[in-house]
Amino acid sequence: MSRAAAFGLARGAAFAGAGIAFPFVFSTAWIVNIGVLTLMYAALATAWNLFSGYTGYITLGQIAFFGLGAYSLGITFEHFGAGSGYNPFYALPLVGAGVAIASIPVAWIALRTRHMTFAIVTLTLLFVVQQLAFNLHSLTKGSTGLMLPTPSFPISSYDTPFYLAMLALTLLALGLCWLTLRSKLGLMLLAIREDEEKARGVGIRVTGAKLVAWSLMVWITAMVGGVWAYYLTFIYPESSVDPLVMIGAVLMTFLGGRGTLWGPTIGALVLVPAQQYMITKLGASQLYLVGYAAVFMVVLLVLPRGILPSLRSGADALRERRRTHRKRVARQGAPA
Amino acid sequence: MHQLIQAIIIGILIGGVYALMASGLTLVFGIMKVINVAQGALVILAAYLSYALWSHLHVDPFLSIFIVMPAMFVLGVAVQLVFVRSLRGPDASELSLLVTWALALGIEGVLSVVFKTTYRVSLPSYSDTTWTVAGYQINEVRLLGFVTSAVLLVLLSVLLTRTRFGRAVRATVQNPTAAELLGVDANRVQTLSFGLGVSMAAAAGAVYGVIYPFNPGSHYDLISRLLSIVVLGGLGSLGGAVFAAVGMGIVESVVAVEISPIWAAFSFFVVLIAFLLVRPQGIFGVRERTL
Amino acid sequence: MKHSPARLATLAATISLAAVAATAGTAAARTTAASAGPIKIGISLSLSGDFSDPGKFAMQGYKLWAKTVNAKGGILGRKVVLDIKDDASSPTQAATNYQNFITKDRVDLTFGPFSTLLTAPSAAVAHRYGYAFIEPAGGGPAVFDQKLNNVFFTQPAPIVESGDVFVRWVLSLPKAKRPKTAAYPELDDPFSSPIAERMRQQFEKAGIRTVYKTIYPSETVDMTPIVSKIASKKPDMIVGGTQAGDGYALVKALVQANFSPKFLFEANGPNSPGEFPSKVGASNTQGIFSASDWFPKAKTYGNPYFVRQFVKTYGGTAGGIDPGSAEAYAVGQVAQRVISKVGVNNAKIIAALHKGKWPTVEGTLHWNAIGEPTGKFLLMEWLGGNLYPVLPKGVATRKPTFPKPGWGG
Repeated sequence: MSRAAAFGLARGAAFAGAGIAFPFVFSTAWIVNIGVLTLMYAALATAWNLFSGYTGYITLGQIAFFGLGAYSLGITFEHFGAGSGYNPFYALPLVGAGVAIASIPVAWIALRTRHMTFAIVTLTLLFVVQQLAFNLHSLTKGSTGLMLPTPSFPISSYDTPFYLAMLALTLLALGLCWLTLRSKLGLMLLAIREDEEKARGVGIRVTGAKLVAWSLMVWITAMVGGVWAYYLTFIYPESSVDPLVMIGAVLMTFLGGRGTLWGPTIGALVLVPAQQYMITKLGASQLYLVGYAAVFMVVLLVLPRGILPSLRSGADALRERRRTHRKRVARQGAPA
Repeated sequence: MHQLIQAIIIGILIGGVYALMASGLTLVFGIMKVINVAQGALVILAAYLSYALWSHLHVDPFLSIFIVMPAMFVLGVAVQLVFVRSLRGPDASELSLLVTWALALGIEGVLSVVFKTTYRVSLPSYSDTTWTVAGYQINEVRLLGFVTSAVLLVLLSVLLTRTRFGRAVRATVQNPTAAELLGVDANRVQTLSFGLGVSMAAAAGAVYGVIYPFNPGSHYDLISRLLSIVVLGGLGSLGGAVFAAVGMGIVESVVAVEISPIWAAFSFFVVLIAFLLVRPQGIFGVRERTL
Repeated sequence: MKHSPARLATLAATISLAAVAATAGTAAARTTAASAGPIKIGISLSLSGDFSDPGKFAMQGYKLWAKTVNAKGGILGRKVVLDIKDDASSPTQAATNYQNFITKDRVDLTFGPFSTLLTAPSAAVAHRYGYAFIEPAGGGPAVFDQKLNNVFFTQPAPIVESGDVFVRWVLSLPKAKRPKTAAYPELDDPFSSPIAERMRQQFEKAGIRTVYKTIYPSETVDMTPIVSKIASKKPDMIVGGTQAGDGYALVKALVQANFSPKFLFEANGPNSPGEFPSKVGASNTQGIFSASDWFPKAKTYGNPYFVRQFVKTYGGTAGGIDPGSAEAYAVGQVAQRVISKVGVNNAKIIAALHKGKWPTVEGTLHWNAIGEPTGKFLLMEWLGGNLYPVLPKGVATRKPTFPKPGWGG
C-alpha cells in the first residue's frame, strides 16, 4: 500500500476511533443528540458527494430517497414487523438495497438527459415521492403520518445506538468514496466528469458507471432515512422529504469542498453544531430561512470550492512561495 | 362529457398563466444556460406587491401589472448583476441552480417576516363574476388572466422576432461567440433578458394573486411545476414552454375531475417522465451537441 | 501534498467538537438551584416555517399566562420563566429542542408545541424522561395512537370529534327537514379528512346518501374542478373537511359556480371570525356552520379576564383573538392548578391530571388514560354577519338556523 493510502487509512481509523469513543465520553443526552444530527448530515453529504461530486451531475433529488428509506422502514414495521430493539438496524441494509434497486430505472431514464435537465428531473422526484407518501394511504397512512414503535433502549444512553448507527453509515460512505476513488470505477467517474463524450468515445461504459455511483448514493441515503425514522418514531410526508435537509447537506458539501473525501464531513462538523448554537441563541427569531439563504449564498459566491480545496491551494501556494523564495535567496547569495 | 370539456376549459385558462411564468424561465436558460430556481419565488413576490397595491391603494390587480412589471424588471437586472453574472467557469450552470435556490429561500424568508404566512388573495369586485357560455362556466378573473398572459406572450414573441434586441437575443442563444463577433454585447443581452424574464414572471404573479390564495411557501409548488414545464417543452424553447404549460393545465384539471384531485399534479410528472423516456430533449428541445 | 490541509482540517474539526463538549461540561456542572428559584418551563414553538402564524398565537397565549401568573406572585411563591425555542416547524428540531430542555437546561416542566405533527415526536421525548406534557395543539389521532400516559390535550375533545355536535343536530331534525344527500370534499391532512370521514360514516348510517366524496392534496389552491363536480350532483348538504385556506377557497368556488347547498359545514375557515368575511365576501357568510373549541364571549373559567388582558397586552379586539392563544393559556391554567396541588414533580403531576376535572378558558377538561379530553366541541354559525355558538345548549347564544340562504343574502 502506498504511503498516501496508509495515511488515508490512519486518518479514517482515527476518525472512527474518536467517533466511537465520543458518546461514551460525553454521554449527556443532548450532546449525543447533536452527534446524531451531525453524523446524519455527514453521511448524507458524503453520499451526495459520492455521486454529484465525482460524476459532475448535480442531483437535487437525494432527499426523496431519504424519505423512501424512512417510509420503507416504517412500512416494514407496520406491515411486517421488523422486530424491536437493535433488529431494525440489521434490517436496514436490506431496506436500503431495496430502495436503491427500485431507484435504478428512474435514474436510467433521468441520466439520458443532459446535466441541467437531469438536475431538474431529480428535483421533481421530491414531489413525486411526497405525493406517493400522501396518496398510498393504506400503505403509508398518508398525511396522518406513520408511527414506528419506540425501542426500549436504556434511558440513560437512549440516543447512543442511533449515534452509532449514523457513525457506521458515515464511515461506510467515507469508505465507499475512498475505495471508489482508488478503483477503476473512480477513474471512470472522473473521466466522465472531465468530458463525458470523450469518455464514451474511448469505450468507458458511461451509463453503467453513473448508475453504480447512483446506487451507492441511494443505498446510503435510504439507510440514513431509516435510522432517522426510527429515532423520531413518527414520520409524515412533509418531514420525510424536506428540501431544507437536502439544501443543508449540499451546503455542507460545498462548504467543505465538493469532490474531496473529507470535505462533506468537515462541512457537517462545522455547520450542524453552528446551526444548533444559532437556534439556541437566536431562539425566537424569524430570520432562520434568511440566515440559511445568506450563508448558502456567501459560500457559493465567495468560497465556491469550499474549505478543503481552498486550504489545499492556500497551502500549496505557501509552499510554492517558500520554495521560490529559497531559490531566489540561493541564487542571489546571502539575503540582502 | 360536459364535465370533461369544463375541465379542459379550466385547464387551458390556468395553463396560459403558467405559460407566462415559464416563458421567462426558458428564455433565460436559452440565453445564459442558467436555471432560475427563484422564478417561483419572484412570481410570489410580485403577487405580494400586487396584493399590497390592491389592499392599501385599491389599485386593480390587472392594472397593477403596469407598476409591478417595470419594478420587477429592475429587480431582475439587479439580481443578475449581483448574483448570476459573477458565476464563472465550467460549473456556472450548476452553481446557478444552487445560487438561485438560495435566492428563492431568501425571498421566502423575507416575505414570511414581512407578510407572515397567512394566505392572501386579491379580491377585486369582479372576482366572483362567472359567465355561462354555451353551458360552460367561465370565471371572469381566470379569463382575464388568460387573456393577459396571451397578450404578453404575443408581445414577447414580437419582441424576439422583430426588434433588434430580439435578434441580438436569438443570436446569443444560437451562437454566443459568433454573436459577439458581430457586435452583440453578450453581457448586456444577458442582463436585460434576465430582467425581461423576471418581469414576465411578475405579470404572471399579479394575475396569480387574484385567482389563487398564496403565501410565502407557495413558491415550492410553483417552481416544481414550472421546471417540469420547461423541461417538457424543451429547455430554451418558448413555444415548447407554452405548449407544455397548457398541456399541463389540461392534464391536471382533467385528472382532478375524472379520477381524483390527489393524483392530479402527480399525473403530470408521470407524463413528464414517460415523455423523457422517449424524447429526452423535450418537445421542441435540441439534443445536446458536443462542443 | 495531501497531508497538511487535511490534517489542518481534521484538527479544526476536533477543536470544534471539543468546544461543543466544553460547553457541555460547564452546562452539566451548573446545578439548577432547586426549589427556591423560578419554575422553568421549556416550550418549542414554530416561530418560522409553515406553522409560524399559529405558532405565534400560541406564544402570545403562553406569554400572557406567564405574565399574569407572575403579577400575582407566581406559583407557590416561585416565578414562572418560559424558555421558548424555535423549531422552524420541523419535527426533528422540535424533538431536539425538548431533548435540550430536559437534559441540558433541566427545565422543571415542558409544555406542548404547535400541531399534532410536531407534538407526536415531542411527547415521545418527554415521555422517555418522565415529564408531563400538557399541550394545546396536538389533538389528532397520531398523538393519541402512541398511547402515552403523560399527554394532556387542552381542548374540549380530540380534534377528530369536531363535527360530532353538527351531526347530532342534523340528525335531530325532523326527517322531512333533514338533508337527503351530501357531498364530502376533504383536505388531505391529519385532522381535516378524519373529521369529515367520521361525520360521513355517521350520516351514512342515518340514511343520508353520499353523492360525492373526494380527498384533495394539501397544496390545492384551485377548488374549481372539485366544486364543478359537486355542483353537478346538487347535494342538499356539503360537509367540508377543511383547514382555513381551502375552507375559504371552497366557499369562493361555490359562489363562483353559483351553487348554494341547504346545509354547509366546514371544519375550519368559517371559524376565523376576522378572516372569513374578508376572504369570501361578507354577504356570503350567512348560515354557514363550523366547529370551534373556544370563542371570545365564552363564560368559561378565567375567560373574561383572559380576553381583557389579551387585548390590553397585544391590542386588537376580542373578536380578533385566535383560539390558539386561548389553548396555550389553558395549558398554563392547568399547570398552575396542578402545581399548586402537588408541587413541581412530574410523576405526581401526571398522576393528578388523570383524575378529576380541570377548569380552563377552554371549558372544564377531563382526560382519559391516553390524554384524550372527554368533552364536546362547539357548533358555530354565521348569522347576520357575526359568528355565534349555537350548540351545545349550555353555551349557545343563538339558535341554529337553517336552511342556508342563497349567496349574497
